[in-house]
Amino acid sequence: MATYIFRRLVLTVPVLLGVTFIIFAMVRLIPGDPAQVIAGEQATRETVEAVRKSLGLDQPIAVQYVRFLRDLLRGDMGTSTRSLRPVARELADRFPHTIELTLAAMLVASVVGIGAGIIAATRQNRWPDTLSMLLALGGVSMPVFWLGLMLILLFSVKLGWLPPVGRGSLAQLVLPAVTLGAASAAILARMTRSGLLEVLRQEFMTTARAKGLAEPLVIGKHALKNALIPVVTVMGLQFGTLLSGAVLTETVFAWPGIGRLIVEAILARDYPVVQGAVLLTALTFVFVNLVVDLLYSVLDPRIRYE
Amino acid sequence: MLARSLAVAVALLIAAAPAGAQKPGGSLVIAQGVDAVTLDSHLVVDSPTFTVTSHIFETLFEYTPEGKIVPHLAESHGVSGDGLVWTLRLRKGVRFHDGTLLDAEAVKFNLERVQNPDTKSTYRFLIDRIKGVKVVDASTLRLSTEKPFAPMLAHLTHGAIAIQSPAAIRKHGKEYVSFPTGTGPFKFKEWVRGDRLVLAKNPDYWGKKPFLNEVVFRPVPEGGARVALIETGTAHVIVRVPPRDAPRLTARKDLEVLNTPSVRTIYIAFNMLKPPFTDLRVRQALNHAVNKPAIVQHILAGVGRPSDAPISPGIFGYRPIMTYEYDPARARKLLAEAGHTNGFKTELYCPTGRYLNDIQVCEAVQAQLREVGVAAAIKTMEWAAYLDITKKGPRESVVPMYMLGWGTVTGDADYGLYALFHSSQWTPAGQGRNFYKNPKVDELLDRGRAVATPALREAAYREAMELIMKDAPWLFLHAESQLSAVRKNVKGVVIHPVERVMAEHAWIE
Repeated sequence: MATYIFRRLVLTVPVLLGVTFIIFAMVRLIPGDPAQVIAGEQATRETVEAVRKSLGLDQPIAVQYVRFLRDLLRGDMGTSTRSLRPVARELADRFPHTIELTLAAMLVASVVGIGAGIIAATRQNRWPDTLSMLLALGGVSMPVFWLGLMLILLFSVKLGWLPPVGRGSLAQLVLPAVTLGAASAAILARMTRSGLLEVLRQEFMTTARAKGLAEPLVIGKHALKNALIPVVTVMGLQFGTLLSGAVLTETVFAWPGIGRLIVEAILARDYPVVQGAVLLTALTFVFVNLVVDLLYSVLDPRIRYE
Repeated sequence: MLARSLAVAVALLIAAAPAGAQKPGGSLVIAQGVDAVTLDSHLVVDSPTFTVTSHIFETLFEYTPEGKIVPHLAESHGVSGDGLVWTLRLRKGVRFHDGTLLDAEAVKFNLERVQNPDTKSTYRFLIDRIKGVKVVDASTLRLSTEKPFAPMLAHLTHGAIAIQSPAAIRKHGKEYVSFPTGTGPFKFKEWVRGDRLVLAKNPDYWGKKPFLNEVVFRPVPEGGARVALIETGTAHVIVRVPPRDAPRLTARKDLEVLNTPSVRTIYIAFNMLKPPFTDLRVRQALNHAVNKPAIVQHILAGVGRPSDAPISPGIFGYRPIMTYEYDPARARKLLAEAGHTNGFKTELYCPTGRYLNDIQVCEAVQAQLREVGVAAAIKTMEWAAYLDITKKGPRESVVPMYMLGWGTVTGDADYGLYALFHSSQWTPAGQGRNFYKNPKVDELLDRGRAVATPALREAAYREAMELIMKDAPWLFLHAESQLSAVRKNVKGVVIHPVERVMAEHAWIE
């Protein structure tokens, strides 16, 4: 097991290297001049050129890439061209907020999604099943943007129950978490339902019931554990999606997260921040995948890694 | 003229509302669309950031919301007979937030820092005509130029030429951006990026002490969310209200919607080197083909003022010159005279999300041009790419028509006209992206810059603008307005035409 983990971690390095190369090239291929954007539309050509030089953008791309890698190996992710602060600080300021939002959204998605899925599967074809699946359809169809604004309108403006936007109190986490988690909840609900239905049909379920076990134990311990394996996969993938897709929720709710940072950095052609943020997101994704894979062996004793 | 006075009167009324006692204390929350970029005033380029820094820092002269240039950190000034030497006398006893004294050496430090190419200040060009800064005594300094430069004081009102503490800059070096130190009524307190920027009252301020304890700036990118903030009272002031929300907000008793002028003019420029726009009749025809008042009324919900000059009202040198009346028949006639009886095809470049309803305005223009036979395909892209493609030189530019805005932030016609209409300012060196050249206009703009007497300057600009309007290098559109909302219990907030929210003398009842 330990060698498996070690091997996975070692494989991360070429993956991340590939990511840096791709993002480095991509961001320089799109039209738009970072020096012009920083200097502003009313700047003279000299100022723009001076800015370009100070950013090192007058060097050939290969030289820029080598410098970037060299600094990265020293632990220096560069300096934001907009705020003039170290990229690492910009990321450190915002990444925890996105993690907070994503975890809250995953909590909402799991509790609501898996819960709805269980209800739907155990009351198959009766009204709780239909209702749950209808809500799931809604959750996955509603644009995040629209849902967020509707929730603000209803719960903040009309009812005054919750604060509208921003980050700080627990109350301010509710609407963004629900908005971000809605689509995931829908997906998890459907997956749990179908997985559970599959398992409930199997023979060992009849055995468990025949043994006289209480129904909650039958479902909770025996059925769910088996049904949850594909669900856990999806949750892992969802975490990655939520992490990067949080930008819409972050924009609507003025949440100071990394999604907004990346979009603003791209629009402002802040190369160091874009590179650093994408690298960080890739790293997180790889890590989450590793954790999910390890979780399998916990859920299913038949799975062993060597 | 009347409209301008009216707007100013309204702004003053809001500002000087007498009802209720001026209570000290409170934390005013202002929600803007974006976060500030940097707090080193010499490096700022955008108005949301200037809104923040103008509470922390001050300039030598101030450009008031009513359009006047008044002494601020400089108490008085004098100009030599030949117009080459400006003597500034500074206010005495003013201290920076770190306790150090504001004196002539400090001002010299600041001016030279902006002029230093290594600082990479975008607005360096505003004072690059100052060839020498000489400290005469602790509160007097002399600025010398090689040629007379009339807009000098106007340029010293610009937020980028603000006076920061030399001691703080020397002490913190590269970290100074985290320790902005000025002389203003508020000090920098904290900045949680993307969430809030907090300024605290400066109890030792030299001027009228502020009432508020704190001013908090919150970046809220989504217009609908900003509206929700003011409706729930979580924010006291919001800017850039989406016009569609204006009626709903106006109907509420607990807030006030402000429609105030801006110094920014929006226009569509013709590439003067590309046929068919080389023909004056074509340019004039297109001006007649577009119904500018209708666009302002229906696309912008009245948040704007159709242009009757290349610059906005309220700017020194502005005068209403002329408009091209909406007249599609006349447009078709002119096009036929120019040899385009069947119209022609062209492209209209348009930014998206940069100016209020920019793409919708372009679509309206496109529809109206189609009525006279001109098929303009709209080409749009995000801002950085847009800047790139419109900034090419005369030989490389592929853009026949493009929409842009220009904010005359010094409040002086020189700034609004020279960069855009003087033939020495063609891109890529300057800002003249449409390659306009009229030697008489060049001469008049040079004169406006050189002579000192305001009346003579105004005459030069009036003549230049008359020529420009007749030459129609632009499809003249409108001067922008700003739509903001303020809670009723907040008094003393002023929305400045240079797109700044001024909360220096605001209070909460």
